[in-house]
Amino acid sequence: MTDTLKLREESGAKPPALSVRGLRFRYVGAVDTPPDAWTIDLPTLDVAQREQVLLTGGSGIGKSTLLHLIAGLVDPAEGTVLVDGTNIHALSGAPRDRFRGSAIGMIFQTFNLLSGFSALENVLAALMFSSVPRGKHHELAEATLSRLGITRLHAAPEELSVGQQQRVAVARAVVCRPALVLADEPTASLDPENAEHAMDLIQSVCRELGAALVCVSHDPAMSARFERREKLGSLVSTAATSATSAATVAGGSR
Amino acid sequence: MNDWTIILRSLRARLFSTVTTAALVAIAVALMLVLLMMRDAAQQAFRRGGGDMHLLVSADQSSMVSFLNGVLYANPPRAPIPWARYQQLRQSLPLGDNGYAIPTQMGDSFLGQPVLATDTEFFSKLRPNPGEAWVFTHGKAFDGDFQVVLGAQAARATGLKLGHKIVLTHGAGESAEHDHDHDEFKYEVVGILAPTGGPHDRALFTSLQSTWIIHAQDRREREAEGKHVETSAADLTDADRKVTGVYVRLATRGDSDAPANLPQVFDMLRKDSSIMVASPSDEARRLLVMVGNIDIVFRAMAGVVLVSSAISIMIALYNSMEQRRRQIAVLRVLGCSRPRIFGLVLTESAVLGVLGAAAGLVISLIGVQSVVLLMKAKFGLVVHPTLTPDAAIIVAGAAVALAALAGLVPAVMAYATPVAKNLKPLA
Repeated sequence: MTDTLKLREESGAKPPALSVRGLRFRYVGAVDTPPDAWTIDLPTLDVAQREQVLLTGGSGIGKSTLLHLIAGLVDPAEGTVLVDGTNIHALSGAPRDRFRGSAIGMIFQTFNLLSGFSALENVLAALMFSSVPRGKHHELAEATLSRLGITRLHAAPEELSVGQQQRVAVARAVVCRPALVLADEPTASLDPENAEHAMDLIQSVCRELGAALVCVSHDPAMSARFERREKLGSLVSTAATSATSAATVAGGSR
Repeated sequence: MNDWTIILRSLRARLFSTVTTAALVAIAVALMLVLLMMRDAAQQAFRRGGGDMHLLVSADQSSMVSFLNGVLYANPPRAPIPWARYQQLRQSLPLGDNGYAIPTQMGDSFLGQPVLATDTEFFSKLRPNPGEAWVFTHGKAFDGDFQVVLGAQAARATGLKLGHKIVLTHGAGESAEHDHDHDEFKYEVVGILAPTGGPHDRALFTSLQSTWIIHAQDRREREAEGKHVETSAADLTDADRKVTGVYVRLATRGDSDAPANLPQVFDMLRKDSSIMVASPSDEARRLLVMVGNIDIVFRAMAGVVLVSSAISIMIALYNSMEQRRRQIAVLRVLGCSRPRIFGLVLTESAVLGVLGAAAGLVISLIGVQSVVLLMKAKFGLVVHPTLTPDAAIIVAGAAVALAALAGLVPAVMAYATPVAKNLKPLA
C-alpha cells in the first residue's frame, strides 16, 4: 500500500464509527403509516471503527431511509447519530454537508456516477467538497482508481463496463478516507458473479483504508460475507408503541 | 476539478441548448450595440453637416427649415437673398483672414441629386469636417463657368466621370410640372470629391455665375416671348444675381473653434427680419432631440430582445433542472452545500450571459463594419461608427446581469432539490 493510500490515522482512543441513540423518523404526510407510528425507530446501534455490518430486511422496511438519516440527508424526529464522534444532525447546512463529504462515503445501487464527467472527475468531485488539501486531489484520486483497477481514468462512465462503473463508485466513496462507508444495496444491479466481485472489493478496500462499513441489502447471499449481521426488523419498530418494543442491539448477533 | 469544471461540464452536456441560448443573448447584445454605434454615427453625420461653419444665413421662415434646406438639402430654399444684401452682410461680419461668408444657391438638380451653386471659397476655406479640407479623388475645383464638381455619392449615383458633359434640371425634381432642362448649357465634370460622411457627398457643385446665367436665360426668353436668345455673364442684371444661403465662419484665434463674439453676431443678424440666422450645430442638436423618440423605440426593441434571451436562458435551465436533480442530489451527498449548488446554477446562467455578450460584441463589431462597407458600396455613404467602452460595458453588463437574474428560478429549484428522493434507483 502506498503512502497515498495509507490507513486513516489512529490517534488514541477513537469513538465508534457510528453511534445511534433513540433514532425516530416518520415521513410527513405518509398515507400508509398510522399517525402514531414511526417509519424508523431505532433505540441503539453502534458500529466500531473498521467494523463491517450488514443490515438486512425486506423491501420498504426503511433500510435506505436509515442510511439517509445516518448521512444527515434527512433529519430525525428524535434521537442522535454520531459519526466518528460527531453529532451530524447537530451540524447545520454547509458544515453538515462538508462533514458528510469528508467523513462518510456512500455507494448506491445504481452507482449514481455523474454523467458528462470522466471516471477521474467523478472521484475528484468527492475530494472537491472535502477537507483534503487541493494539492493532493489528483494524486489521491488517481491512486485510488488505480488501486481499484481503473486504468482508463478519462473514460466517461458510459464507456466503462458495469463492473468498472461500480469500482469508480467505490473509489469515489472511499477517496476522502471516510470513517464510515454506507452501501445501499450495492449489488442489486449486478449479476451474481459481478456482485461477488463488487462485495469483495468494497469490503477489502474498506478494510485497507480503515473505514467502517454499513451495508444494507435484502440479498440473503450477502449474509455469509459479514461477521456481524443485523435484521432491520428486529432493530426497527414499526409499531405505535415502539419506545418499548425495540431491543437494544448494539453488539448484537454476529 | 473545481466549480468551473462542474459548470462547463453542465453547459457541454446540453451543448445545443447552450449554443442556442448564448446565440440569442449574442444577437440581442449585437443588435443593441449596432444600434448604439449607428445612432452615434448618425449623430456625427448630422453634426458634420455644417462642416466648420458657425452660422447659416438664409431667407427661410425658420432656423430649422434653414438648416434642413441649406445644409441637409431637404428642399431648395424658396426665398432668395439679393446679391447686394449678401455683399453688405459680408462687409459687416468680422471674418478676419480665416473666416468666410460663402454664398450658396440651390434650386437645380441632376438626376435627383441636388446642385449647389457657390464660389471657390467653398473648396478653399470651408472644411467639410473640422480640421479636414476637401479632398479630390479626381480633377479639381471649378475655376470657370459651366464646370461641375461631384460629391462622392453623387458621382456614384450618376456614374459620371471627369470630362463628361451634363445638362442640369432647373428645379430639384420635387415637381416635374415646373422642372425643365437647360439643353443649351452643358456642364463639364472637372472634379470628383472624396467622401466626407456629410450631406454634401450627394450634391453637385458649380459656380454661382453659371446658375445665374441659366436663370437669366429663362427671364430673357420670357421677355422675348419665347424667342431663342443667347445669354452670357454680360446679360446678368442685379435681379438675376441672388443667393439662397450664406455659410458663415467668423474669425477665430489659434485653435479656438468658437469665437467670443459669436453670440453678439448671432443677435445682430437676428435683428434683421429680412434674413434668418441659424446655428447649424444647435439645429443638429434640436433635430437629434426630435428624432430621439425613434431612437428610444429602437433601443426598446433591442431591450425586449435582451429580456427575451434572458427568459430563454431561464427556460433552458429550468428544463434542464428536471434532468439534473439526480446529479444535484449526488453532489449534495458528496458534500456540496445548498448555497454552493445555488451559486453553481446562478453562475452557469451568468456564464451563458458572458458567452452571449462576448459573442455579441464580436458580432456587433463585424456587423457594423459590414454595414459601413455596404453603405459605402451601395449608397456612397460614409459613416464612422465607434463603440465607446462605456456602451460596451453597460450593454454587456446588462446582458450578464439579466442572464444571472434569469438563473434565479432554476437556482432556487436546485437549492430546494430533495436529496434522498432523488437518490432512489430509477424504475
